[in-house]
Amino acid sequence: MRSQAGAAASAGAAGSAGSGTPSIELDGVSFVYPDGTKALDAVSLRIDPGELVAVVGQNGSGKSTFARHLNGLLRPTSGRVLLGGADTRPLHVARLAGLVGLAFQNPDRQLFAGGVSAEVAFGPRNLGVRGAALDERVKVALVAVGLGGEGASNPYDLGYSRRKLLSLASVLAMRTPILVLDEPTTGQDARGSARVRAVVAAAADEGRTVISISHDMRFVAECFRRVVVLRAGRVVLDGPPEAVFGEEAWPELRATFLEPPLAALAGARLHLGSTPTSAALTAALARRAQG
Amino acid sequence: MIAATEVPGWGLPEYVVRRPGGLYRSTNPSTKLAIAALEVVAAFAVPGWPGVLAVFAAVLATAAAARCLRGLAVIGLATSPIVGSILLINLFLLPGAADPIARFGPLAPTWSGLWFGLQTVARLFAFSAAIALVYLTTAIDDLLADLARRGLGRRAVFVVGAAVQMVPRTIERASEIVDAQRARGLDTEGRFWRRARGVVPLAAPVVFGALTEVEERTLALEARAFSAPGRQTLLRVPPDTIVDRVLRWAAVIGLVAIVGLRAAGRLG
Amino acid sequence: MAIELLAVGYRYAGASRATLRSINLRLEPGRVLGVAGANESGKTTLCLAASGFAPGVVGGHLDGTVLIDELDTRAISTHALALHCGLLFQNAATQLSNTTATVFEEVGFGPCNLGLPVDEVVERVWWALGAVGVADLAPRDPDRLSGGQGQLVALASVLALRPRYLVLDEPTSQLDPAGTALVADALARAAAETGAGILIVEHKTDVLARIADEVIVLAEGSVALAGSAAEVLSDPRLQVLGVEPPARIRLEREVRAAGIGWSSTLAEAIA
Repeated sequence: MRSQAGAAASAGAAGSAGSGTPSIELDGVSFVYPDGTKALDAVSLRIDPGELVAVVGQNGSGKSTFARHLNGLLRPTSGRVLLGGADTRPLHVARLAGLVGLAFQNPDRQLFAGGVSAEVAFGPRNLGVRGAALDERVKVALVAVGLGGEGASNPYDLGYSRRKLLSLASVLAMRTPILVLDEPTTGQDARGSARVRAVVAAAADEGRTVISISHDMRFVAECFRRVVVLRAGRVVLDGPPEAVFGEEAWPELRATFLEPPLAALAGARLHLGSTPTSAALTAALARRAQG
Repeated sequence: MIAATEVPGWGLPEYVVRRPGGLYRSTNPSTKLAIAALEVVAAFAVPGWPGVLAVFAAVLATAAAARCLRGLAVIGLATSPIVGSILLINLFLLPGAADPIARFGPLAPTWSGLWFGLQTVARLFAFSAAIALVYLTTAIDDLLADLARRGLGRRAVFVVGAAVQMVPRTIERASEIVDAQRARGLDTEGRFWRRARGVVPLAAPVVFGALTEVEERTLALEARAFSAPGRQTLLRVPPDTIVDRVLRWAAVIGLVAIVGLRAAGRLG
Repeated sequence: MAIELLAVGYRYAGASRATLRSINLRLEPGRVLGVAGANESGKTTLCLAASGFAPGVVGGHLDGTVLIDELDTRAISTHALALHCGLLFQNAATQLSNTTATVFEEVGFGPCNLGLPVDEVVERVWWALGAVGVADLAPRDPDRLSGGQGQLVALASVLALRPRYLVLDEPTSQLDPAGTALVADALARAAAETGAGILIVEHKTDVLARIADEVIVLAEGSVALAGSAAEVLSDPRLQVLGVEPPARIRLEREVRAAGIGWSSTLAEAIA
C-alpha cells in the first residue's frame, strides 16, 4: 500500500477540484513531543486537491498530531509540511487557518461567544470577512449543519451533539479549501452523524479536500475514498477502502486494534471479494444472484 | 519471597503506604511545618545576625541531608529578582542613613543601607528556604492525610488536593483552547494589538468549561458518598512517632518563647 | 427488589418544558436495561431520576414516584443514594476525584468516604478491581490513564460501594472501538459477578445488542418503544426515532431491500 496508489485511486475525484485548492504533503515528517514521545516517525504522504481521506488508528497512533501538522499548530521536528508545494514553516497559524480549517473533537474547548451566530462569525471575521458577506457565510454554515434557526441561542443551551455541529459550522464558515475534521461523529446521535455525512459530501462536491480522523469504520468506508492507517506514528496502510478493508489487510488492521466494517467481514466470509460498504456487499450479492 | 503486601489481592499495597526515605523526609509533615514556623519566627524576630545565620545553617544542613540543595537553589534563583530589588532599595534609599560608600550624582549608596539590606535579604532567603524545604520534601497527599488525621474536614482536604491537581489540568485545557482558537484564525504570533483581542476567546472557554464541569463533578463526588457523615478512613497516613511529637512540641514552645521574649523586649 | 419508575415526570428548575413525561419502567437486579434515543430525548435526565440524584442533588421538580427497593428516592439521603445506585457518566476525566495518587486509592475513595475500617476498604478495592478486570492498573496514576482505562477505573470506583444497581450514561461515547469493547465486557462481567441491575444509556446499539436484556427507546421524554433487546433493536421504527439500528440488522435490511433473497448462510456471515 503506497501513497501513490491512494493518489491514483482518487485522481478521478480530483477532476472537479476547485482550482483554488492546493495539495498538501508531508515530506519525511517526524515529531517528538517535549517529553520524548515520538508521535510521528518519518511520515511521507501527499493529499491531492479534492481527495477524501480518512485517517484511522488507535489512540496514541499519532492521528491528532498528524492533524495538527496540517494547519501549523505543530511544526515537524524534522521534515517538511508543504502546502501547494511550498513549505508551511514560515507561515503563521493565523495565515494557514484560511487555507486549512480544523474542527476539533471537543466542541467545548472553543465556545466563548454568547450566541450561536457570534460563535460562527469568529472564524471568518478573523480572516477579514465583514458585513453582508459575513452574515451570509454564517447563515449558510448554520443551515448546512441543521442549526439554521438557532442563530440567537446560547451555545450552552444546545445539547452536546448540536454543540459539536456548531463547532463544525464555525469551521465551515471559514470556507477553507482544505477541511480537517477530528472525530466528527464521536458522541453524535444518528441524526448528528447523518448531518456530518451530508457536510462531508457537500464539501466534496465543492471540490474541497476533506481529511477526517475517525474510529467509526462504517463512516470511513462509506464517505471516504482513501484510508490511511497509522500505527506508532507510521503509515502502515494507505489506499481505497476496498484495499484497506480487504482480507489481505486484516492482519495489519487487527495488529492496530481496528476491526473492518461488518460489510467487509460478511463479504469475505461469503467469498465476494472486498465489500467495505453495505452498498458494495449488496451489489456483489446481486451480481452473484444473476451470474 | 514476595512480600504479602505486593501481591495483588493481598492487603494494602506498598505503593500506598510507602514512607519516603531519609531522616528529615520521613518526619511527620506537621512536625516539619512546626519546625519551619520556628525557623521563620527565629529569622525575623531575633535581632541582628545570630538568628538568621542559625536558621540558614539549620536549613542548609537539613537540605543537604535530605538531598534537595539543588531544589532550594532553584527556588532561591526564582526569588532573586525580588530579593535583589529589596537590596537595591535599602542600599540607596534607607531613611536616616548618613554614611555613603560613594557618590554617583544624586545616588548615594550607604554602608548602613548595605548592612540593613543584606540582613533583610538574608531573612527573606531564610524564610523562603525554610518553607521551600518543607515543600520539596513532603508529598501534598501525605500532608493532607496528616492534617485530615488531626481533624481537617474532608471538604477542605478535597479542595486543596483538587486545586493542586487542577493546575496542570487547567494548563492542558488552556493549551487545547489556544489551539482551537488559533485554528480559527486567532492571531497569537503577530502584532500586539491583534493578540490583545484574543483575551475573551481564550479566557472564556476556560471559565465556561470549568463551570460546566462543576455539576458533573459534583454528581460524581456525591455518587461516591462524599457527603457521608462521620470521619473519612485514611489509607495513607504518615506515622507520628514519639520523636515527631517531641520535636513538634519543642518547636512550638521555642516559637512561643521567641515571640514572648521579643515582645517583652528581652531580646535586645 | 427493583428500581421502579411510576408515571415519572421531571422538569429542571427554571425550565419551561418537562424533560420527562409519565415514564414507567422497572429494573431488576441481574438484568441489563438499555436506553436509546436521539440526543436531548431525556436519557441523561432519566439516569438522574432513576438513581435518585434528581431531584436529590440537581433539584428540579419530580412528578410520580421513583422507588429503589421500595424506598422512595426523595426520602433517601444523598450519600445513601450512592449505596443503592452507582452513577457513571461519559466523561472519564470528571468521574475521577483527581485527589488520589494511585488507582488503588481512587477506587477506595468511596469506601473511605463511608468511614469503613481499613481492612474492609482494602478488600472492597481488590474485589472491585477484579470484578472489572483492572487489578494491574492499581499502582498507576489516575490522571495518566487512557479514556477506556479511566472509564474502567471509574466503574470500579462505583462498584466498590457495592450498589445493587448501576446507572451508566453513555459510558462508551468518547471511546474508540477497542475501549468500547473493554467497557462493555467489563460491564457484562460486573453484572454477572455482582448481580447488579444495570441501566445503560447508549447510542451504540451494537453494545446494547451485546449486553442488554431489555431495551427502551425514549423520544421527547416519553417511552416510545419497550421490550426485549431483540424485539426493540429490530423494530423498523428505530430510525425514525433517531436511533441507528445495530450493524447486523441494518445490513440485513439493506440486503433485503435490494431484493436479494435472505438465507441462513447470509445470516451466519453477518453474525
